[in-house]
Amino acid sequence: MKHFFLASILAGAIALPAAAADYSIMAPAAPGGGWDQTARTMQTALQTEKISNKVQVMNVPGAGGTIGIAQFASQQKGNPNQLLVGGYVMVGAILTNKSPVTLKDVTPIARLTGEYEVIVVPASSDIKSVADLTAKLKANPGSVSWGGGSAGGTDHITAGLIAKAAGVDPTKVNYIAFSGGGEALAAILGGQVTAGISSYGEFEGQIKAGALRLLAISSDKKIEGINAPTLKESGLDVVIQNWRMVAAAPGLSDDQKKAIAADIEKLAKSKTWQDSLKTKGWIDTYLSGPAFEAQLAKDIAATESILKDIGLVK
Amino acid sequence: MSTFEFLLQGLASAMLPMNLIYALIGVTLGTMVGVLPGIGPATTVALLLPVTYQLDATGSLIMFAGIYYGGMYGGSTTSILLNTPGESSSIVTALEGNKMARAGRGGPALATAAIGSFVAGLIATLALAFVAPYIVKLALVFGPREYFALMVLAFITVSSAFGNSALRGLTSLFIGLSLSLVGIDQLTGQNRLSFGVPDLLDGIEVTTMAVAMFAIGETLFIAAQGEQAPDKVEAIRGSVWMTASDWARSWKAWLRGTVIGFPIGAMPAGGAEIGTFLSYATEKRLTKHPEEFGNGAIEGVAGPEAANNASAAGTLVPLLTLGLPTSATAAIMLAGFQQYGLQPGPLLFATNPQLVWGLIASLLIANLMLLVLNLPLVGLWVKLLTIPKPWLYAGILVFATLGTIGANPSVFELGMLLVFGLVAYVMRVFDYPIAPVIVGLILGPLAEQQLRRALAISQGDVTTLVQSPIAAVLLALAAIALILPLILRFRGRGNVLSQMAASED
Amino acid sequence: MSLDNNKTTAEQRRPDWAALVIAAVLVVMAGVIFFDVSRLRDMGGYSQVGPATVPDWIAFCLVGLAIWTVFAAFRRDFPKREKQEIGPVAWVVAGLIAQMVLIRLLGFSIATGVLFGLAAAGFGARRIWISIPAGIVICLAIYWLFAVVLQLSLPAGPLEHLIQ
Repeated sequence: MKHFFLASILAGAIALPAAAADYSIMAPAAPGGGWDQTARTMQTALQTEKISNKVQVMNVPGAGGTIGIAQFASQQKGNPNQLLVGGYVMVGAILTNKSPVTLKDVTPIARLTGEYEVIVVPASSDIKSVADLTAKLKANPGSVSWGGGSAGGTDHITAGLIAKAAGVDPTKVNYIAFSGGGEALAAILGGQVTAGISSYGEFEGQIKAGALRLLAISSDKKIEGINAPTLKESGLDVVIQNWRMVAAAPGLSDDQKKAIAADIEKLAKSKTWQDSLKTKGWIDTYLSGPAFEAQLAKDIAATESILKDIGLVK
Repeated sequence: MSTFEFLLQGLASAMLPMNLIYALIGVTLGTMVGVLPGIGPATTVALLLPVTYQLDATGSLIMFAGIYYGGMYGGSTTSILLNTPGESSSIVTALEGNKMARAGRGGPALATAAIGSFVAGLIATLALAFVAPYIVKLALVFGPREYFALMVLAFITVSSAFGNSALRGLTSLFIGLSLSLVGIDQLTGQNRLSFGVPDLLDGIEVTTMAVAMFAIGETLFIAAQGEQAPDKVEAIRGSVWMTASDWARSWKAWLRGTVIGFPIGAMPAGGAEIGTFLSYATEKRLTKHPEEFGNGAIEGVAGPEAANNASAAGTLVPLLTLGLPTSATAAIMLAGFQQYGLQPGPLLFATNPQLVWGLIASLLIANLMLLVLNLPLVGLWVKLLTIPKPWLYAGILVFATLGTIGANPSVFELGMLLVFGLVAYVMRVFDYPIAPVIVGLILGPLAEQQLRRALAISQGDVTTLVQSPIAAVLLALAAIALILPLILRFRGRGNVLSQMAASED
Repeated sequence: MSLDNNKTTAEQRRPDWAALVIAAVLVVMAGVIFFDVSRLRDMGGYSQVGPATVPDWIAFCLVGLAIWTVFAAFRRDFPKREKQEIGPVAWVVAGLIAQMVLIRLLGFSIATGVLFGLAAAGFGARRIWISIPAGIVICLAIYWLFAVVLQLSLPAGPLEHLIQ
């Protein structure tokens, strides 16, 4: 007993976990949000599939995940039992908040899920297609107000990319940032703004009910079950995905990294995970290894350039 | 099947003994986590949601409803007894409720809060069932300019209801407004007043601020009284239950609170706390006992508590009819629904009537269960106050910091508790009111954002603010609320009016 | 420290110094706001009301309130203040600081137990060799309830690792 006690104090002091297969997942957001749900779904799946014995979720909310990632990078260095959930929003937040800690300071493992952006207008709008919208935008950029989520987030970036692809100065985009999807959706439904921009899931119900007209989706190819052209097909070279990923601590050995990647791959292929994706309506966009690293680098570069174009990053 | 039959069917299944037990477990768990200051119903539901996954759809729905109501009521209990509001919408409850508790009337305060919550929850849930489609149409008419006008009205009515001195009330308000600027500006993504500190980028959390200002500030203030202050609070003076006069004064406040809270909750950007502010201001104006306001007026607890609960049911209107999660709690509920295969949206009432009515029935049952669980416990709760002072206040600090650590385990957040606790202490010493700071912190950003959105949509045309009839009417009401008391004050002052304008400066 | 003010005739004519300090604090706040947002003044966009506009209004009003406070200070409009004892306040503040320092190192229960003991001392229960251990035991029970049973994430230390 005494030894056990001493060992526990030692273990506690240097924060070493008790058994090797335990994971602790940090969700850099408050309970309830997308990242938190991803972390908690991972927790359930990892435990149900017996990939890990015991999984804990810890929330460190704040500033688009930049507070969480900063804490993660500095406190968990070399710890192979720590995971961090993150996503595309983090890429933008790191840039706009001038965060000293970036995704380079952690070990990205894999992309897990993703959502595509869609452009909608109220059903009563006289805008019938992306061509109508870009014509209006070219004539008077200020007259097209775009309703979406927070400034500098995926929705704002997409609006900027669309303007740029249409040959309109991205700084002239009249983007109206709302807090959270609900408020933006209400403003779009109420005809307060010209067009709405957000992930498909936010608008799905309204589109199906006929209250919103879907103009285009930001995927590379048409998505089954979604009756809309891609932005590419509409003549705008814009492909964007709001993805969520999992990363490990910095300073891991190659073997440790491989072990984590293997566990995550088991998770992503597992039945529990796939079933949860279905009930939650998340799209499986699993991507790992060098392919993911290349995609990540591309996303970061593209985001930085468009945020500079919009004028949010100097 | 008609609406009514669906509801009866839902009630019948929710009344099964097993489901009643689930409701009871849910309410108990929700209350336990909800009493932590800084952890509101949203976080409570998010944390406990996995517990409900183990059950079948009806069982989990009903436990979920229980957790939700338990989380809400838990916040009120600590607000009243310990002056530690757990979330922004129970701040107003603490104002009068804690004064009552200190005067030995904690029992009636808790009872009026519980019964008021029940009455408001009952009426609002029924309203949700029958008038949701109409309310939601009204809510969608509200755009940024209408919200801006509503915020202006809220500012004016609320500011007249706080404090004895216009100078000190306004100073407190502007301290709150200044603090509300901290963090990333929502419309441009630029940071303001965060001085390179990452923890400040998201602004100052209202709940942290409320806990610091009320719980910590109060504790420091009491500590500074030293030996002069009475050693023990007299927990029960008079009856532990509500007297006839308490009932007489409460029931109208409950109904008014419900009428104010429900539509504001239904508005996509309304927010529960605005309903509680407006209700408090209304009760203060209409009361026959103005001298009691600020010293423990029962209407000041009954109205806002009812408004809070009605507003919570109100947020379900856009959620169930449009799939719009308009509050943190609603967003988490949405996640919960998806677990039961419910996809909220305009077609929900048509495609999934059983589940929707099951949910509404569950809410009614959970609401009742809350009352059943809490009324008998009132006597026990107020006994908390008889704990000797050192242990009581040490315990309050443990709970206050526990909530903050649980919501966000950061040393910085604890530092903010201490700093703002000290600020609140100094403000108390100089007789500055605390509540306007919180009001400014909550309403400031809302008003600013809506104003800027409205002007961006109109491309800088200021007249847009009065071009919508609703906005114009709201602004006119605000102007009347501002000017009328001044006029009445100049024309000979009645008792009520001088209290209302309450300023010697 | 005593903030007690006995209003004698001589004192009536002197300004309320504490209130003047408050006025100065308000002016400083206004200045900080004004200068911090000055880099954002050209970001009005379509609304003309940019991220700096509202802060500027608030800063302006703070200065106005400061001037009003100065007048009130000279007219001695501030209410009488009660005697404040600084000793008990120091105990409580020390408890909060101790909790902040210890929570990362030793976990929730020990840090919060120390807060419990020191705060109780501020209210007259000075036997901290009893109250701190008692506080730690209570906090460990709280930790068990909220972190182990209800899955709230609270910082763990050596004691918490024992009961997990």
